[in-house]
Amino acid sequence: MAISRQAYKALESVTGSKYISEDPVIMQGYKSGPGGYEAGLGYERVMTVLPAAVILPKDTEEVQKIVKICNRYHIPYVPYATGFYGPKTHCHVDDELIIDMKRMQQFSWDEKHMYADIGPGVIYSSLQQEAFNKGCYGVIGGGGAQCSAIANLLGDGWSPLSLKIGLPHRRILGTELVLPDGEIVRMGSLAGSDDPFWGEGPGPDLRCILRGFTGLRGCLGIVTRMAVKYLPFIQESPKPQGIAPNTSLALDEKRIRWINYQVPTKDDQVKAMYEIGAAEIGGACTKVPVFWRAIAKAEDKEEFWDIWLKESEESLKNFHLVRVMLIGYASEEQMDYELAVLDDIMQECHGKPRRTKASDESWLKNADSAGMWLMTGSYVSVEFVIESLNQSVQHGESFAALKASEYTPPLFPDFGDPGWFQNFESGHQGYSEFLIYWDQDEDTSGVDRFFLQTSKMNIENNYYSSHLGPHQPLYLTGPQYGPNYHLWLLKVKNEFDPDWICHPPVPLAHDIFVQRAEWMHDMIDWEVPEKFPMPSWTATLTKEA
Amino acid sequence: MARDDRFDLSVTKKNMEYAAEVAKDKRLTGDRYKLSVIDPEYGDGKGNSHGRYDTPRTPLEFNIEEIKNFKYDMDHCIKCKGCYWVEHTYNPGVKFNVRCPANLWNDFDAFGAMGKMRIGLGVIDGSLEWSPTLLQVLYACPLCGACDVACKRNLDLEIELSLEALRVKAVQDGVAPLPAHKTAVDKIIETGNIYGEKSDRKAWAKDVKVADKADTLYYVGDNTSYKNPQIAQATATILNKLGIDFMLLDDEKNDGNVVFSIGMMDLARKIAKENIEAIKATGAKRVVVSDAEAYRVMKVDYPKLLNIATADLGFEVVHILEIAAQAIEDGTLVLTTPVDTRMAYHDASSVSRLCDDWTPYKGERGWMGMIYPGQRRRRGREGLYAQARTIMAAIPGADNTEFIRIRENAFDICAGRGTDIAFPALTKFATAHRLDEAKECGIETIVSADPQCRDAFNAYKDPKDGIEAIDITELIVKAL
Amino acid sequence: MSMINELEKLVAKASDKAADLEVYAKDMSMMPAGYADAVVWPESTEEVSAVVKYAYENNIPVVPVSSQTHMYGSTIPKQGGIVIDMKNMNKILEIDLKHKFVRFQPGVTWNQMYEELDKVGARIMMPFTPLGNRSVLSDTLDRCVITNTVYDYGEVTQSLEIVWGDGSVFRSGSGSVHGFAADNTPTHGLYTPSRGVDPSGPGLDFYRIVQGAQGTMGIITWMSAKLELKSQIDKIYFAPIEDLDYANEFLYKIMPRRIGQEIVLLNKVDLATVIADTVEDIPELCAKLPEWTLAIVLSGVKRRPEEKIAYEEHYLTDVINTTFKDISLKPALPGFPGLGRKLLNILKTPWNAPSWKTKPYGAYEDMFFIARPEKASEYVEILSKVVAKHTYPHTMIGAYIQPIEHNRACQIEFTFFYDPANEAEKEEIAAIVYEAGVEMMNNGAQFTRPYGNLVPVIYDRAGGYTATLKRVKGIFDEKNILNPGTLCF
Repeated sequence: MAISRQAYKALESVTGSKYISEDPVIMQGYKSGPGGYEAGLGYERVMTVLPAAVILPKDTEEVQKIVKICNRYHIPYVPYATGFYGPKTHCHVDDELIIDMKRMQQFSWDEKHMYADIGPGVIYSSLQQEAFNKGCYGVIGGGGAQCSAIANLLGDGWSPLSLKIGLPHRRILGTELVLPDGEIVRMGSLAGSDDPFWGEGPGPDLRCILRGFTGLRGCLGIVTRMAVKYLPFIQESPKPQGIAPNTSLALDEKRIRWINYQVPTKDDQVKAMYEIGAAEIGGACTKVPVFWRAIAKAEDKEEFWDIWLKESEESLKNFHLVRVMLIGYASEEQMDYELAVLDDIMQECHGKPRRTKASDESWLKNADSAGMWLMTGSYVSVEFVIESLNQSVQHGESFAALKASEYTPPLFPDFGDPGWFQNFESGHQGYSEFLIYWDQDEDTSGVDRFFLQTSKMNIENNYYSSHLGPHQPLYLTGPQYGPNYHLWLLKVKNEFDPDWICHPPVPLAHDIFVQRAEWMHDMIDWEVPEKFPMPSWTATLTKEA
Repeated sequence: MARDDRFDLSVTKKNMEYAAEVAKDKRLTGDRYKLSVIDPEYGDGKGNSHGRYDTPRTPLEFNIEEIKNFKYDMDHCIKCKGCYWVEHTYNPGVKFNVRCPANLWNDFDAFGAMGKMRIGLGVIDGSLEWSPTLLQVLYACPLCGACDVACKRNLDLEIELSLEALRVKAVQDGVAPLPAHKTAVDKIIETGNIYGEKSDRKAWAKDVKVADKADTLYYVGDNTSYKNPQIAQATATILNKLGIDFMLLDDEKNDGNVVFSIGMMDLARKIAKENIEAIKATGAKRVVVSDAEAYRVMKVDYPKLLNIATADLGFEVVHILEIAAQAIEDGTLVLTTPVDTRMAYHDASSVSRLCDDWTPYKGERGWMGMIYPGQRRRRGREGLYAQARTIMAAIPGADNTEFIRIRENAFDICAGRGTDIAFPALTKFATAHRLDEAKECGIETIVSADPQCRDAFNAYKDPKDGIEAIDITELIVKAL
Repeated sequence: MSMINELEKLVAKASDKAADLEVYAKDMSMMPAGYADAVVWPESTEEVSAVVKYAYENNIPVVPVSSQTHMYGSTIPKQGGIVIDMKNMNKILEIDLKHKFVRFQPGVTWNQMYEELDKVGARIMMPFTPLGNRSVLSDTLDRCVITNTVYDYGEVTQSLEIVWGDGSVFRSGSGSVHGFAADNTPTHGLYTPSRGVDPSGPGLDFYRIVQGAQGTMGIITWMSAKLELKSQIDKIYFAPIEDLDYANEFLYKIMPRRIGQEIVLLNKVDLATVIADTVEDIPELCAKLPEWTLAIVLSGVKRRPEEKIAYEEHYLTDVINTTFKDISLKPALPGFPGLGRKLLNILKTPWNAPSWKTKPYGAYEDMFFIARPEKASEYVEILSKVVAKHTYPHTMIGAYIQPIEHNRACQIEFTFFYDPANEAEKEEIAAIVYEAGVEMMNNGAQFTRPYGNLVPVIYDRAGGYTATLKRVKGIFDEKNILNPGTLCF
């Protein structure tokens, strides 16, 4: 089956034939995986299909028309900005349409009021450079430099720079959303004007439905425009230097610098973070996975393993680094002040400064997520959660223990490294991220199982988690958070998309995955409804199916 | 059609079959999940013995005549689209931030390297049949290497070789060359040059001193010989000025650049062999070229075709850029005449990111994709990035500027490697886009080391913009 | 069985006595009176839930009330029903200095919060002179703009416990983990690793929909909010301002450098009214004060506080000397000895009710909106033109500009002081607010907290937003029992 001729012609009339295709070659170009984020795994293999057609609208009006046509002809569709976020942003059902947003690269900058007004085709590194040019900066979230800023802000949007800048949802200002049924809602100051500079109201804040910590993977409509708040930075843009792959931003250390401190114990490491938060200094403060150091040192994959396999549980257990970025926003004198405060803290925490380059390779303009694939070829962050530093520290240890207990292999050997943690918003929050790596050419079912098991571990240990909503089986996490947040989420989905036209079967896709993937069946110990509360066409996907 | 049928997820049969197949796999039960992490079998401190991780090693050769050599690379593309955008550190903002001309010309992902890798998998597993679209995807691309250096910033996937291998496969399967390419190849076979010219190839060689016997041989190339004789004259003038004696081939023929680039390996190999033999027959130790593409094809692709290392060619291949820049640094070439124009150098791909030396590779790939033995990747670091800039800086009072996208991030205008022959619309588009960038930067004169680029710029420029393109050799001669 | 009998079974205390209902029928605003049928004073989330469930089953409106003074009419029962007065739910459940948050119930007042935090060396971000007897939770949820401008992450709300329109109890943010109870504190032993400090999720950003909702989307039974450690040293600086645009340019310059904590701009009417010890002093103060006064507080926090203040002072001196020579920034306002100490105290503490705005004539009407700072003088001009058409004196209008987020925006608040017995004046002020409000909207003012007679205009202009809001309201309060007649519901 394909999209009917009538429907296809209607779609074609919206964009013109240059921007729509159903050619199998073009469709293959939109295949999810087999490499990439969350790809090369069971979910990708079991849940994704090639699109039936791809369409590239140029503006909101075209998006709205396309969505309305999809509703009229019951064509399932998925919005696709840059396509980096793995299988969950690709087609899940037959005869589905990809709405590729890359042409929508509208951009304007309000220098005085520090925001960019952008379309979903605009990527982070471009935006960050525009910000630097105006003396501002933002966060390049985990999707990395090349991902759509809007898409990332709808589901991610943090980095070590969040120490000062804070959570991503605070940076979403006036926003335009084409709802799954094709109606347009403009939020914040866009609601009653064409000025996007403010994010709230009027009254209750509809940004509620844009995201829920880690996003909805496009199942509640398509954001076609967003004003993104940027924060003031130093006024000189850091200059790029080097030839790929050894490129970085040169830093004027009188105004911005990274400093690495080695501390003797994990307690000292954590204490340093609390104290840096309490002292309200710093632009970033983080402890990253130890193997990143090996990545940074290695010329290539082979050298990485040469370096990394010299480590051991013992060597990692006794290696504690705190990486701090200081920024003299106001002056060199501010830098001196912050250095003095940091020195006080590090003396209390027995920290010794280590040699640190006067450059930034990772966070100012990068979030070098693509580099994560170098060493094994396959990677996913199985958790990336903002909670207290209290949770963050315990959380990583739990993940390391779980990984060691049954799942290494297929996961790569990391000698018990508890991953990445840091503080956000000057210590109001902590952050932990646990990254896993494997060889996708091996049997990866263990990776699927580990992913699900982490959700159960979070529940058992009362941890907050990024992997809620569409990221894990909704009926597993739903009753355990809120409680019953899933029922509200499903009500919202059904209100705006009663026929589940927009990216079906998200947010229940992971529920369906575990039903379909027989190697996951013995793990289903939560209550699954006889029939998922979706339109009748999903009836075959119940427990007994 | 009933909606119930249209949306039934169970109709995604391939997925269901896969699920069933995996479920039957005995490795997925029992002890598979019970292995302990604390296992002396991995990591003995010497990088050996990953016994518990049982990925078998498989033979691997970086040989583009067998497409399966690159399945790993195609399989491991993560769709980060680093191949499309200018490298993030250098990303200039929302304008002129793309480095892939093919995907800028045609927005579907298929036209970017991330799409082509997935399409390549379809070609390998037979799920995609050859079609005009498939050929367009593969050939409406300058093979400029932007995607390759991008990917090798982080992933070390062999994107350029994968793209070359796909074209070779198209030829092997008899669906390529494309008609326009076939015509060009026929001319090469018939006349020894891509234009089908029958006139005197050396007609340019007047008023310059050409040696009968020397260590240096100047390989002129089709374009320079017939379309841009002034470049040949300028090159000869520079060599003469520096006191470098040079020979010419008695019967110089096409360099095989297009033939190789479109995937006709047998013919390309024949041309390579003949040219190498002809050069060797002169006794030359060094071949100087003024054409970027001749530089790349001789330095990189001849060795690739013959399964030898660049160092084993039997002679050195240098671009006149290198000689002139070195001479300026040594003080043997002094530029004295001001050139009153605002200039910028256009990094042609073949003298920049594409020209790292070639070393054949035969080994194995194993656990985590590691290759045994290891090999230094070709990441475009050996490009002639500094030389042109050294030359231009040496011109008295020079008003030099830069494009926004430079060096390994430069935007290729699709004038070479046969792209312009089959897809002139792409060449026109890409050139016009680069000219827009020149305009944005206030550039009056674009300096290039690739005559094809020079021609395209001058062909597609808008006279109102007051921009002209010249070859670096022409510039040097002007400034002498 | 009568409603009051039913309610008495569900909550610790309930009443339908006229005298009790009268308390909730009116407030400080010009909104007409409205009477509930009953009032309940729950003492726990369970009781709130039980009452809402009862109301849901019987289709009875409920109006949540948390503060003891109300200014804008939002808690006046407009369709009868049950007032749920949360004043007995007034516990500070937890103060966590390590993770810098406080978790508290809706009856907790600004005075109570200030005192408890002060004891442990902490502070919560406050709006300008919040009334000491108002609910911290209400004002925070209503997005009252805070005076502290230095933190990039200004919003203080973290996890919430919410009773939805069907009576179900829900926790948003990271407090949503199972096992997170009201007494989820280290001392009570019911300790979850999650401390409830992430506002976002689960699944949706639920906290957003109850913000600015005036009790129409759900009833909040506790809130976790960020606190900051108390500053070690505070220094206040004043600059007399005649040219508002020039002052704003100065703020555009210094605030992105993260200089200053509390920063406010007050016109002479507002400043005189705030600082006057007696009503009689106001005219004299007005006469002496500059048209506007800029106040900037520099603070030294936990470590090396003097050095922190020093680099900020040096920066300010440098900017003034090189670029803004006409800004005269001094630790005192000439002619007003002792003002520094007085205003610093005002900025750092809640205001004991009644509001200073009642000083001149006993009543007041506010209009406030979000705007670009560079347009502030334009709005002042619009208001002047509108007022000129009426008899209400221009000299009686207070104006307060609150910079927000490094001055990328500001809240502008105009206050009209009036005699509550003077019906004609009330009507005139209502007309001015309406007329000026519409004109300001036409010129980019964003009325994000809709109150009074501008509500229908605001929602009418935001047609698509309003329609979507109603659909969302139908999910969380399907029978529209939560504070009906308010906003667009």
